[in-house]
Amino acid sequence: MKTEQETKILIVDDSRTIRRMIAKSLANIHRTTFEEAENGLEAIERLVLGPVSLMVLDLNMPEMHGIEVLKFVRSRPAYKSMPVVVLTTRGDDVSQADALAAGASLYLTKPFSPQELENKVRQLLT
Amino acid sequence: MKDSLATAMFSEATSNKFILFELMNTTYGVRSAFVRRLEMLENITPVPNSSATVEGVVLSRGRIIPAVNLRTRFGFPKVPFDIRTRLVIVESEGRTVGLIVDSSREFKTINEADIKLPPEGITNLNGEYLEGIATVDGRMILVLSLNEILKVGDPVSEATIDLSQKEQSDQQKVRTS
Amino acid sequence: MADETSDNFFNEFLDDYFAESEEHLAIVRNRLLAIEQFVGKASVDSAHLDELFRSFHTLKGISAMVGLTPAEELAHKMESYLGALREGRISLLPEGFEALIEGTRTLEKVIGAYRNNESLPDIDRSSELIESLTGAKPQTGSAAETKDTEPVTETGKSTTSQQWRFVFVPGAVHAAAGVNVNSVRASLQNIGEIIRSTPLIQEGEIAFEFIVVSDASETDLAGLEKSGLTFGPLVEPSPESEVEVAGGSEPSTATASTSSAASAFVRVDLVRLDQLMLFVSDLVVSKARLETQLKSMRGSISDRDWRGLQEINAAFGKQLRDLRHGVMRIRMVPIGEIFERMRFVVRDLSRETGKTVVLDIRGADTEIDKFLVERLMDPLLHLVRNAISHGIEGEAERLAAGKSPAGHVRLRAHTAGEVVVIEISDDGRGIDTEEIAARNPHLQLFDAAGEIDAPQLLKIISTPGFSTRDQVDRASGRGVGMDVVHQAITELEGTVSLETTRGEGTLFRITLPLTLAITDALIASVGGHMFALQQSAVNEVVEIDPKSIKIMENNEIVLYRNHVLPLVRLSNVFGYEKKESGTLYAFVVGSGSRATALVVDKVLGLREVVVRSLTDPLLDIKGIAGATELGDGRPILILDAMEILSVAATN
Repeated sequence: MKTEQETKILIVDDSRTIRRMIAKSLANIHRTTFEEAENGLEAIERLVLGPVSLMVLDLNMPEMHGIEVLKFVRSRPAYKSMPVVVLTTRGDDVSQADALAAGASLYLTKPFSPQELENKVRQLLT
Repeated sequence: MKDSLATAMFSEATSNKFILFELMNTTYGVRSAFVRRLEMLENITPVPNSSATVEGVVLSRGRIIPAVNLRTRFGFPKVPFDIRTRLVIVESEGRTVGLIVDSSREFKTINEADIKLPPEGITNLNGEYLEGIATVDGRMILVLSLNEILKVGDPVSEATIDLSQKEQSDQQKVRTS
Repeated sequence: MADETSDNFFNEFLDDYFAESEEHLAIVRNRLLAIEQFVGKASVDSAHLDELFRSFHTLKGISAMVGLTPAEELAHKMESYLGALREGRISLLPEGFEALIEGTRTLEKVIGAYRNNESLPDIDRSSELIESLTGAKPQTGSAAETKDTEPVTETGKSTTSQQWRFVFVPGAVHAAAGVNVNSVRASLQNIGEIIRSTPLIQEGEIAFEFIVVSDASETDLAGLEKSGLTFGPLVEPSPESEVEVAGGSEPSTATASTSSAASAFVRVDLVRLDQLMLFVSDLVVSKARLETQLKSMRGSISDRDWRGLQEINAAFGKQLRDLRHGVMRIRMVPIGEIFERMRFVVRDLSRETGKTVVLDIRGADTEIDKFLVERLMDPLLHLVRNAISHGIEGEAERLAAGKSPAGHVRLRAHTAGEVVVIEISDDGRGIDTEEIAARNPHLQLFDAAGEIDAPQLLKIISTPGFSTRDQVDRASGRGVGMDVVHQAITELEGTVSLETTRGEGTLFRITLPLTLAITDALIASVGGHMFALQQSAVNEVVEIDPKSIKIMENNEIVLYRNHVLPLVRLSNVFGYEKKESGTLYAFVVGSGSRATALVVDKVLGLREVVVRSLTDPLLDIKGIAGATELGDGRPILILDAMEILSVAATN
């Protein structure tokens, strides 16, 4: 485990409102900063630009489906162990099993409970 | 009444039409060609450090314009505004100004021939703003020279300064009484 | 379901929610009109469907987050229907298209009602309608057969176009220069259509590959290399792109096809933009101070130095104006957004009135300030409504007049110098000026040559209450809400003019300033009066305990952050009564040793306001920069902080 004090969380969602909601839900986690991406390509670019502690990932997005992002990320040695929380709208066509198979650490659905998201993310970060 | 008043305001060519209003129980008239509309006086915002004649600014059909209290302008005592108080919106030489008067509800045709020059005796304080005096059906109507009234508001005019100083002291009198 | 705590938790995001919903509803309206041409055909252009699908998907997700269940439910049904269309399980029939329109309208109403705290409209009808159509049996055979023969429009490119393969390797250096995958994509969209974008590994590094169809020449493309792109022609079209053209259903390829003229724009977060505006405003203030400082040096430096400084100062001034202008320009959005909404109005009204109306839109890409967009909606709505209800004749009357049976309404926008001109015209019966004149014999509607005095006519029909006079209204065919139009446009510092010819039609021309002076202002009260102060002029808002105020050489001061901060009470400057007790508030203006606290009784909040200049000589008062209005009809004065300080100093 790295000794970095700062936790950088990458929030990937095409909805600006949802990105802000996620950031607010996780704002109380100690020394956390947020990066945002509104599509899959941008998310991958952010990963290239610097280490990220955890990624919250929407699935149904323009440019690149979240599952494709997840598969690509997991194919890179550097991001094999990074926790990825898939946060998708309920009723979407991708099942929990598919997401986990593609490498998701956790599968949650929107609407989410901010408390639950915070708790789960805290667990993933320790 | 309302209709004829509203429509009269647009007939600029018919110069002998006047909007009548009351001030200190005296009837004044202003050429309807200059009058855009009449409004109730509501939501006036005082402007600090402005001339005492400027009661404040009002929003009139999307524009923020000064509202001049004609009572203060003529050195009369101020009275509280009530539901009869009217704002006569006038337009002249590119400027739009509201004139606050005690009341206004009449529109009248006055024959030019009936408008006589004001007698020498009343060319004191407000005499110079009078175009003339008309007598219609036994009523005396003081016809205002609008351009003169608005010109006085121009700070470059020395008369303004003298006048506003006088008015300020008038106003203080009213306030302390 | 969001529990109670999360309801409260997400309350602060309601504004975000409404803003984002509005964006998606605008996309939906646009795309719905774009797919109308596919009604009754076997397949629908997949780019439009993808965009529609995604917008409803997002609307569903964000509505669920704020707990607006009816909106979530309806958006979900719409999404499912579009999903079925996209997969080719059903085809787009007229009733399906109507159901989409109807559903969109209901969704707008639900969100609008929620925003206005009104009771939510019923969604059952729309919801059941769209659901019943989604459940329809997959149309086997016929749809699949026609698919090949049906040409898919909009994907057809001219024969000179070619496929190019671009590779972009992201990195910190590019990022620092503002070049990133989004900006690269935007510039590629400018030169052609991106048919695929994927990440790949190139020499151990992550890179992005874009396949672009473009008719640009190789030399045209060479400029792109500067932004870190390498490129070359793609010899063989990739198999994926063929699937894509055939309207494939695979999610990965379908999502890759999202490209449209609209996405050539980079989306800028309004918050960031406002920040940028603040920085610019700061610069403007600094510039003003620099000027004052320069003037005070005039006597103590040589003429030569003075001229040099003046030249630099003038150049600085010009650059600053350009910068400000540039930043204001970023706020500009195409007016097409509003024009497209008018299509809905025209559809509805032409159905209601039984008149066939063709709407002709020109100059949809004319850009106007975002602030204007919302405020133009109502006036345009009124004018378009009037044109159809009163201007355009019935079919019989049109034919009798030798006109085409269908009426035409034209919306046109263009910029001319510093103004934007919007025209709303129709080829209807024109305003019956004679009738108005006959009924109002005292009006002078014609000049000596017998020509209509159009400004006079406009004045009359814009008189409040004019429209309530039924007779005249019917005769004139105009007037409904014209006073509202006039007022709304005046509030935007614009003007309205009119041209009308009996039997030929009417044209309204709205002229608006290209950019409005919009600013963020802090609202405060002093002695019971409200004032506004440009936020950019204020470094800080501080609370002051009256007990901590000390007197030094007749001046009030407080210690603040180990500095002496002189106080200037606005109540003194304006001759208002001093607040006797309780905490005071102050705006810290100026910086360093010149920082001064401008004391007010209360700070009421921050608002975006339109600055209206006070041009009348009666209102030329030092310290008062302009006025604004917060929507309640009461003007509020906008103060110039620096001038207030100088007024206070001379007192």
